[in-house]
Order: sequence, then C-alpha cells, then structure tokens
Amino acid sequence: MARYGMALDYKNCINCKACEVACKEENGVLLGADKHRIWVGQNEMKGQWPNLDIANAAFLPSQCQHCDDAPCQMVCPTQATYYDENHVVRVDSDKCILCSYCMNACPYDARYVDDRTMTVDKCTFCSDTRLARGEMTTACQNTCPTKVRTFGDLDDPNSEISELLRTREHFSLKSHLGTKPKLFYLT
Amino acid sequence: MQVEVSRRKFLQGSVSLSIIGGSSLGVTNLVASHGEHESKGEASVTTKTGTGEAQEVATLCEMCVNKCAAVARVEDGVVTKLNPNPLFPKSRNMLCARGNAGIQALYDPDRLKYPMIRVGEKGEGKFKRVSWEEAYEAILNGTDKFPGMAKILDEEKDNRSTFLFCAGEGMAEHTFKTFYGAFGSANWLNHATLCLKTVVSGYGVTIGGYASADLDNAEYIIMAGANRAEAIVTPDTMDGFKRTKGRGAKLVCVDPRFTHTAAKSDKWLAIKPGTDLAFVLALTYVVLTEELYNKEYVAENFKGFEEYKNLVISNKYTPEWAEKITGINAKDIYEVAREFMAHAPKAVYYPGRRSTFSNSDFQLRRAMAIFQALSGGIDTKGGLVFGHKLKLGSHELLEPMYAQAESSLGSSWVNWRNDFVDGKHSYPVRGMFIYKHNPMLNMPNPAKTAQMLKKMELVVAIDTMPSDTVMYADVVLPECTYLERTDPVKTFGGVEPSIAQRNKVIDPMFETKPVIDIMRGLTEKITLPLWEITKKYDEDVQDAIKEDGEKETFAEFDMRKPFEKSQEEINHHLVASVYGEEAAHHLKEHGVFYPNMDKYFKQLGENKFQYYPESKKYYSVKGGKPKTPSGKIECNIPNLKKRGADPMPVWKDEYNCVIPEGKFRMLTGRHAQFTQSGTSNNAMLRDLIMENYAWINKRVCDKMGIKFGDNVEIKSSTGKVTIKAYPTEKIGPDTVFFVHGFGEESEALTWAYKNGANDNAVINDITEPIYGAASMHETNVEIRKV
Repeated sequence: MARYGMALDYKNCINCKACEVACKEENGVLLGADKHRIWVGQNEMKGQWPNLDIANAAFLPSQCQHCDDAPCQMVCPTQATYYDENHVVRVDSDKCILCSYCMNACPYDARYVDDRTMTVDKCTFCSDTRLARGEMTTACQNTCPTKVRTFGDLDDPNSEISELLRTREHFSLKSHLGTKPKLFYLT
Repeated sequence: MQVEVSRRKFLQGSVSLSIIGGSSLGVTNLVASHGEHESKGEASVTTKTGTGEAQEVATLCEMCVNKCAAVARVEDGVVTKLNPNPLFPKSRNMLCARGNAGIQALYDPDRLKYPMIRVGEKGEGKFKRVSWEEAYEAILNGTDKFPGMAKILDEEKDNRSTFLFCAGEGMAEHTFKTFYGAFGSANWLNHATLCLKTVVSGYGVTIGGYASADLDNAEYIIMAGANRAEAIVTPDTMDGFKRTKGRGAKLVCVDPRFTHTAAKSDKWLAIKPGTDLAFVLALTYVVLTEELYNKEYVAENFKGFEEYKNLVISNKYTPEWAEKITGINAKDIYEVAREFMAHAPKAVYYPGRRSTFSNSDFQLRRAMAIFQALSGGIDTKGGLVFGHKLKLGSHELLEPMYAQAESSLGSSWVNWRNDFVDGKHSYPVRGMFIYKHNPMLNMPNPAKTAQMLKKMELVVAIDTMPSDTVMYADVVLPECTYLERTDPVKTFGGVEPSIAQRNKVIDPMFETKPVIDIMRGLTEKITLPLWEITKKYDEDVQDAIKEDGEKETFAEFDMRKPFEKSQEEINHHLVASVYGEEAAHHLKEHGVFYPNMDKYFKQLGENKFQYYPESKKYYSVKGGKPKTPSGKIECNIPNLKKRGADPMPVWKDEYNCVIPEGKFRMLTGRHAQFTQSGTSNNAMLRDLIMENYAWINKRVCDKMGIKFGDNVEIKSSTGKVTIKAYPTEKIGPDTVFFVHGFGEESEALTWAYKNGANDNAVINDITEPIYGAASMHETNVEIRKV
C-alpha cells in the first residue's frame, strides 16, 4: 500500500527519448506515433536566428499524471478505469468498451488505444511489470541518462520523493483544473 | 509557471506509423536472394515483460561506441528487456534510446542469417545461401563469378598487402584486427580518418593525450562543435547535463545550429561553419594580452610559449578580427575568455569526439589544447583529465613478417579509395575484408565507393545487417549481434577506472557466429593452402625452412593460433592473471570489476551512486603535468613542417567560410536516436525518427516558397538528394543541415530502404592536409523545391 508519485527534474531533460523506448520495451507498447505512454514536449522556437530564446527551448517530459481526482476515472461508464491499491490510475481491459470518454476527458492527452487488447491504455507506473515483480521503480526513471525522474511513495515521509517535494519548488500541470496530479515538476 | 505539454502538440510534424499484427518476434525469410519484402510493415516488435521466471545477464551495449553496461532480462530464451547496469562507472546506470532498442537489433527480421555467396552481378544484391564450409571454400578458391584468395595471392607472388582490411569500431574489431595482423597485409583502414583522427592527434602532440573532460566538477564549459545532448558520450552527457542550468556549471555552446546542447546552454554562439580556429585564437589573444593565464603553470610546463604568444599578438588575432571571420560578436569573445579563466582550473574547453569538419581541424585541436593548458586545467579536477587505466593480462598475438608483403598505401580512407579508383596505387589491391563497416554510407561520395567495391575482385563482408556495402560483397559472413556473443574484455580508463565485459546473453540465432568463431573456421580453411604460396615466393621463409625446418618456421605463420581458445577462456585468463579467479568470476556474473569495488560501490539514492570515494578518484595522475615525451605543453613543433603543417596554429585566408550568393553550406551531424547508418533499420528507433529532414532557415523558406514537408533537392558537385524540408530558425540563412544515417539503398533493409537522404551523397570528398581525414563541412550546395 502506497501512494506513488513522480518528481521530474525536467530541466535536466535532453530529449534523448530513452524513457520512451524503455517504456515501450518494458510494457509492450505498440509502435506508432499515437501509441506512446510517455513523451517529451517541446515549445515552438521563439526568436530569429541567431537570437533565439534559450529558456523557451526547454524539453518537457510527460506521461499520465496519475491524478488523485482523475477526470478519466470519473467519466468511465464501466469502471474500467480504477485506482489500484497504490493509488495508481489503472485500466481493466476486460471492462473497457473503447467508448473513449476517458481520452476526451483527460486534460493531458495521456491515453491511447492499444489495438491488440482493444483497451484505452495509458502509463501504469509499470505496476503490472516491474512493480509486480517487486522492483522499486519504473523503466523510465531507471534508464534516464540525466536522471530526470524520482519515483516513490508520497505517503512515506522518509521517501526520496517526499524529501524532494519538501525541499525543492515544484509545480503541477494544469493545476487550476483541480485534478491533483501526482507528477511534480521541479523548478 | 505554465507549461503546456500535450500529446497533440507532440504529434505535430510527426507522421503516424502503424505496425500492427503478426506474432511477436516474427522473422521473415532471408531477404537477399530475391529482394522481396514478404512481410514489409508487418512486425510487432514489442513484448511486455513478464512477471515469472527470468534470467538476468550482465552485458555491454553495442548500439554505438560507448559500451554502456546493461543487464538483459531473458524470459524463456527471449530477450524481453535491456536495463542499465548500475555497477559501471562509465555509464552510471543509464541506457539511452538506442541501448533500450538493442532488442530490435537482435530480432530485426532483416538480419543476415546465413552465409551467402554472390550469384548475380556485383552490387545487384543477388546471393545464394550456402553452408559455412562453402563460404570459406569460395573465399579460398572463388567461384565462376569471382576469384579466390589462393589465385590472387599466387598471381601477386604472396604480396599479402594485395588484401585490404577495414573495420568499424567495436569490441570485436580487436579480433578482426588480430586476423589482419596474422594475415600480414599492410593495408588497414578503419573509422579514424572519418572520425576522430584530428582531435586525437591534435591533443596527442600538444598535451600528450586525448584527455577526458571532468564535466562532473567543471564550473565553466565551452562546448564548441560538440553536441553532447544528441551525440551521447558516457559519462560526459550525464555529467554535463545533470549540472547545467543553474546547478553549478555554466555552459557555452558554439555551433552554427541550435542543437539540443544549445537548448541546454546558458549562452549559444552561432558560429560560421569551420571557423572555430579563429574563435580559439581570439580567446587566446584576450587571455595573453590581458595576462589572464596561469603564469606559474605556463612557466613550469610550457614549451615555445613566447613564440606562440608573439605569433598570436603580432598576427592581431583580436576578438574584433575574429568577429568578421566567425560571425560571433567580439564582446562575447572577450566575455567567454575572461569567464573561462576566472573559473580556471575548473574550466573545460571540451575536446569533443567527432568527424573532422574543416581543413583547419588539426590546428584547431592544437589551439584548443593550448588554450586549455593556459588555464592550468590539465590533469586536474574540473579540467581535462588523463585518468588511470587498470591493466589487463596479455594474450598471444601473431604478427608474422611476409617478405613479399609491400608497405601500406596510406591510412586516409577517402584518399586510399580515390587512389584505388583512379589507378594511382603502386601495386594492385585485389581483395578486401570488411567487418562491421559501411563505406557506402560512412564517407563522402558513395558513387566512388561503389566504383571501388565493383573494381575489387574479391569482397568478403562480415556484418549483422544487409547494408548497402554488403550488397557489393562476393561472400557474406553473418555475424551474430552483440547480445549473442562474448567479446574481448576491455579496460576503461578515467577518473573512475574499471574493467567491463560483454557477456553472451543468448546463443547465436540462425547460422550466425561471433567473429572469433568465424576467424577460427576461416583460418582452418585457408592457412595451409596459403602457406604453400608463401613457401613458393618468400625467400626469407625458404631460408628459414632450410635452417630451422618447416615445422618451426610455420609456427610463426600459423594463422589458426590466435583463435584456438574461446573468447570466454581468453577473457578469464586476461583478468584472472592480474586480479585473481574471483575477479574473473565477478566480471562474468556482474559485467564490471575494479579493485575494492565491494567497498567503494554504494547506491546513495535513487539517482545517485558512488563508484569511488572522492579521495580515491584519479583526477590527477601526472601532478598536473602534460603527458608529452618532453613533459611540456608543445606550443611550437618545428617537426610538423615535415608533414606540411604549421608548427604553431595560425589562421589562413583559405580557412574562411565562403558561401557564394544563393548557395548554402552543407552541415551534417548526429542525434540521440540513431548511430550513423548502423541503426538505420531499427524499427523502434525509426519509430522515433521516421526520416531525416533538411533544416533550412524559415525566412529563407518563406522566400523560396518552401513549407514543412515539401520535397527539396540538395545538390553539390558530388551529387544530389531529395529530402523533406524543415523550415526553422535553428539554422542560419546560408547553411543547411540534415542528420547522418539515413538514405540506405539496400533493398534488403525493410525500414531503411530509400528512407530519407544520405548526407554523404552530397558531401564532397575533400580531405584535410595532415592526415587525409574527410572534411565534412567544406561543401556548398544548392537547394531547390521539387
């Protein structure tokens, strides 16, 4: 029993896409640009060569925010989307009817259709692969060259992530929506 | 702060590829015999890892040159995941996108699976599947399509140098080179003159070694013409970018393009291509005239300082002078020079590891090394470091002297090739062995490489993939991938030295073999027949036989000898003979070993590891002194004149970047998802980067009516390619860039075939004057919308 979250030291991200590939290989995610569980966002360049806005050129790694108040879970008519015992937002492929309400409800575009299981799938924090085997962290966290991610139990005051969130300033994406994401971007 | 990170945003500009259906890990038929793609687009390439029983095997990655440590998860004989091995100080518990996609190299349906011999015309790609014995027989005695080694060597009177050996970088290159040594040819070409020859030599002659940069402790980093955010080098990439952006190190990026490295920098200076030498000379000018250099260090360790100082000052290499050449504001040059020295010795002018870009590259490296040394930041924490290398035991090699073998025809790949094609060699070279090397893609002017391969009478290619080069082979020997073999154990020097080993994860698939097994089989076939030819022509051998008898003489020429033992046995001996049995077992079990590892290695946090305690790190191994034979920093080397080089770095008018009106300077480079052409057919990586695009300045595109995705033709005096356009402000109005590693023409590559454009098809085969290294950024091109 835990409440898993992730802190992202996103300014370290070099957009190498190691996390994307590790995720796909670990979780058997289908190929195709619209199938990924994890991605790195990038803003349009601002300025004209050679005077470009470096601050605006940050890379923004992202994935399912595992909201504590997840809109995708609220709208699911079959309760296919549920919170598991670690407060991770999961999908039961047996119950999913591909109505795609969740895809529309998610403010973070974190969901996609897995054509093999016919499920609207998403990031699981590797719950059914790595964590199920007793490993302590996700594939994306583990493989990252510049160590952007810290994964852990938000309810454990002694966890590294709890310590980071106590000591570093951070923000959440679209916090005004009240979704209470469990992904935290460190500044 | 508001950050918008959305999937839809991400999808802009990328094209959806759907690869659906089929059973996982499906393997198609052998590609090459009829060139059809029976299963094109039908491979499901990912499998979810299981929760049941699995083996974990410690190995080393070979998706690029870094050799990062990995742990392979094997479920029911199938590799389902590659994870980083935290024990290796060099790779610091990371695997990049390519490292993770290594599984796709292993299960690539287009892999070479069986030995093949050519049945069609040269370059046509028509082969027939044969047994290993038949392949070796074809190498020795030829077929009706091509001559064998025995015929060639007999006709050439045992001149072993009539065979060229060429190899790409890799741990098994050592094994292939052992074969080259035993064979006795003098013609060896590898990636050096297409890669880092000038940087290694420039630093070598100036400070005595191609030192590493201690980016973990540097406070100020100039990264010029290096792109560590995209061209990943471990541990530099991790050390560098964990600490930039307000966390302790200031990064100045000097590059004509706004690369990912520029995006992570504090200051980006857009320099005119190929003018870095003027930039460094101006930095040096500021440091000398303002007396910002480390006087004590210079007095103690420099040779020829006064001459160099006089040269730089009397030639007036001022920032104002450099501004006109480089396009960088003089103000910025003053600032960078002053800040660099203010942070010295914890300041690094990053040496880099890349191809030669301009004809001034060797002198650029000399000037960079001297500039670094002026700060005193040599062999010291936060500066350039030589580090320590753990020794390994020795094993026997065989390097016989063949009296009839003529001397080398040169070490510059491009010049060697061109001389061969133009008939300028002093003796005929008639056969070649190619290991893990793709000259059709890896050097400028592939049309000339094709001429070379067609003219070469016997071409033997050892590779894992049916590359463009393999298509020109007469005999194709399929190597297994890195996950299917144990490679020679290797020692990795540095601040935190270690020894690491690539262990076999699964048995070789199909009929593929590791190079050491291939060499064992081949030498068993050819050694005795070729010995007969040597006896016929080699007078030294004839004399030796008279004196010592044939058995004793032959022992020195027995090519089979270096391949008698297995790689596992050789590795065990190399390690156990120095560090004991336990170390050798540790290496096999854990992939990494260094003395006191059990005491030193600690995981300090989810993202933090200690490999050596601070006091045990090898920041300084020479007390801050350079490693040159003289023990001094060599500013002035009169001997360089003999090679036609300036004894001290000077700027010449011919180095200026001149781009006529309406033309563009062609730039090439790397990104973090592909390793040259070696990964071009990797389905996972191609899923990330579908094809390469030509970066063209947005305002220029507007004028020319070019929109995103439009096809443009890029044309030089060497050739032309068609590629899609990417209008962007990340590049200047008179330059164009597209990334290397695309545009293969081998039909046997499902994903890579005619995907994107080959940069080398337009880059002119110009070589720099000192080593004949290919100068990749000296070509002007025309662009038109098509």
